[in-house]
Amino acid sequence: MEQEDARCQQGEAATVETKGLKKVYRFGHEEVQALRGVDFKVDRGDFTVINGPSGSGKTTLLNLLACIDRPTEGEVRIDGQNTASLSEGELAALRRQKIGLIFQTFNLIPVLSAFENAEYPLLLARVGRAERKRRVASLLEAVGLADLSRRRPDDLSGGQRQRVAVARALVSDPKLVLADEPTANLDSDTARQVMELLRRLNEDRCVAFVVVTHDPAVAGYARRAVRIHDGRLLEGDARVASATAS
Amino acid sequence: MWLRLPLRSLLRNPRRTALTLAIIALGTAVSFVVIGFVASSVAIIQKNTVDQFGNLEIASPSLFDRTATGYDYLIPADRLARVTVLLRADPRVTGFSPQLSFSGLAVVGTTTRVVRATGLVPGNAALDYNAFVVEGKGLEPTDTDRVLVGRTLATRLGLRPGDYLSLTVTTVDGAYNVSPLKVAGIFRFSVSEVESQQIYLPLGFAQTLLATDSVDTVVVDLRAVNETNAVAASLGQAVASAGLPLSARTYEVLSPFYRDLLAYFNVLFGFLLLAVGVLVFFIVLQVTTMSFLERTREVGTVRALGTTQGGVFRLFLSESALLGLFGGLLGLVFGALLGSGFNAARIAWQPPGTVVPVFLTVTLSFGGAWPSFAVSWMATVLSALYPALHASRLRVVDALRST
Repeated sequence: MEQEDARCQQGEAATVETKGLKKVYRFGHEEVQALRGVDFKVDRGDFTVINGPSGSGKTTLLNLLACIDRPTEGEVRIDGQNTASLSEGELAALRRQKIGLIFQTFNLIPVLSAFENAEYPLLLARVGRAERKRRVASLLEAVGLADLSRRRPDDLSGGQRQRVAVARALVSDPKLVLADEPTANLDSDTARQVMELLRRLNEDRCVAFVVVTHDPAVAGYARRAVRIHDGRLLEGDARVASATAS
Repeated sequence: MWLRLPLRSLLRNPRRTALTLAIIALGTAVSFVVIGFVASSVAIIQKNTVDQFGNLEIASPSLFDRTATGYDYLIPADRLARVTVLLRADPRVTGFSPQLSFSGLAVVGTTTRVVRATGLVPGNAALDYNAFVVEGKGLEPTDTDRVLVGRTLATRLGLRPGDYLSLTVTTVDGAYNVSPLKVAGIFRFSVSEVESQQIYLPLGFAQTLLATDSVDTVVVDLRAVNETNAVAASLGQAVASAGLPLSARTYEVLSPFYRDLLAYFNVLFGFLLLAVGVLVFFIVLQVTTMSFLERTREVGTVRALGTTQGGVFRLFLSESALLGLFGGLLGLVFGALLGSGFNAARIAWQPPGTVVPVFLTVTLSFGGAWPSFAVSWMATVLSALYPALHASRLRVVDALRST
């Protein structure tokens, strides 16, 4: 595992890094501080789990890391690039090229098949048809859905849908995959399978994973676990001894 | 994918899509049929107008503009000969006929009517009223004091073929002239005004009555109606270049009734298309807004995956464009069936200003199809503009939070 770490991280800038990250929500005259100055860093190949109770700011942090929201203060750097000055279009391009997203509710496009859902980011990236076919087939094989590629989300179980979402997140070879409560809608057995899949892909592909969860069992899969409470990271950079919770 | 995704999105809620398609199709079909009906009506009225005036007439501007003093508008024989040369040189001209029109008093017994008399060349196809004779017979080239009388006028004067009327006119010198004329036939004409006022007699006899060898107008027939304006322009130039104090005017200019009717139909077209467009716009707007709102989270997802705002906008707009395309095409098919049904039903009606009933006809042409389709399609696409813009500008996090 340490060898793996070394291979993944050699000579690379941090995949994602935040400095003094603050996010304030305004509801009329009331202000809610969701993040209160978060300094956070994820290196290539990391598997980080951010754990915390509801309302602790973990999804807000994930949204900022995913560049789908802008911080009130502080900065987010993705692969060394400061995102503060990027336009909406440039942020979309950054997400397309460097970030894969996995959602709690899978968020697959219901009218597209498993194959087409996984293919979608490659279409955005204007990848050629043959290459798209090769990459999607390979990933669906990797997530164990090669035989179900023509099925639409409605014809798949929760676990299968999340596997399609995983394939979609990884298909464009991102530097970073962000997962928001990826097991919240799954039974414990399926949740375990999905987490093992994420870990395996993390190790195989040297892609950094940041998983946000309030499920303590998920933290067991982390190579690095971070706790967030009231908008502050409590355990800054603690390493978890065991990577898998088998 | 960029076609597949909007296409499949249309099938998410088949019932709603079917209803929307039906509304677009209905709007398109109604426009298509009404335009087809109006086009056929205009064609009938156009034909009647051309029958009455020819495609165009050549005469003195003072005659056309009713500013003539006495008979100063007449075309003497030498000028007519020069006009004839010009007309024969134009391959688009299929025939022409000089005529001489004047007003007079028709007297039968104690009944007197003001009539409009026209002297024409019997047998000349460019101005042939023999085809409209419904009682008696037409004028022969050898006829002299014979006359064709409009049906309504004949009824008012109590005339039958073989009867005589007495026509009183003023000669070009200002003297009175009276001549008996034998009714050769009674004609029926599609324009009621002509039926109730008009008589036709041989040109030579008309010239004798007016004591002149001149004519007032040359009626010109063309090989195609749609060439009328072009030929009128070139003939007008030709007569001007030849130094002739004459001008050429088309049937459209000569018939205020036709012009007014055409303007009325154009306004009707405009209102109809506007009404259909507005109806389709608001109904589809409601449907698309609902449909797009339901997919707010999906918008958040595709944006989070890296689709640009423009990409989302195009995606939704393509969906509406496809909806408009299918609805419009369906409407054209439905309209064609409906129009064919009307044509087959042979419903009789009488177009405005005519006296002869005709079968209701719906002309199904590309000229009628494209505005119907275009209006429905554009209304559908326009109705999606705001919802698509709204969807594309949603904040990604807000869209993802939507349930």
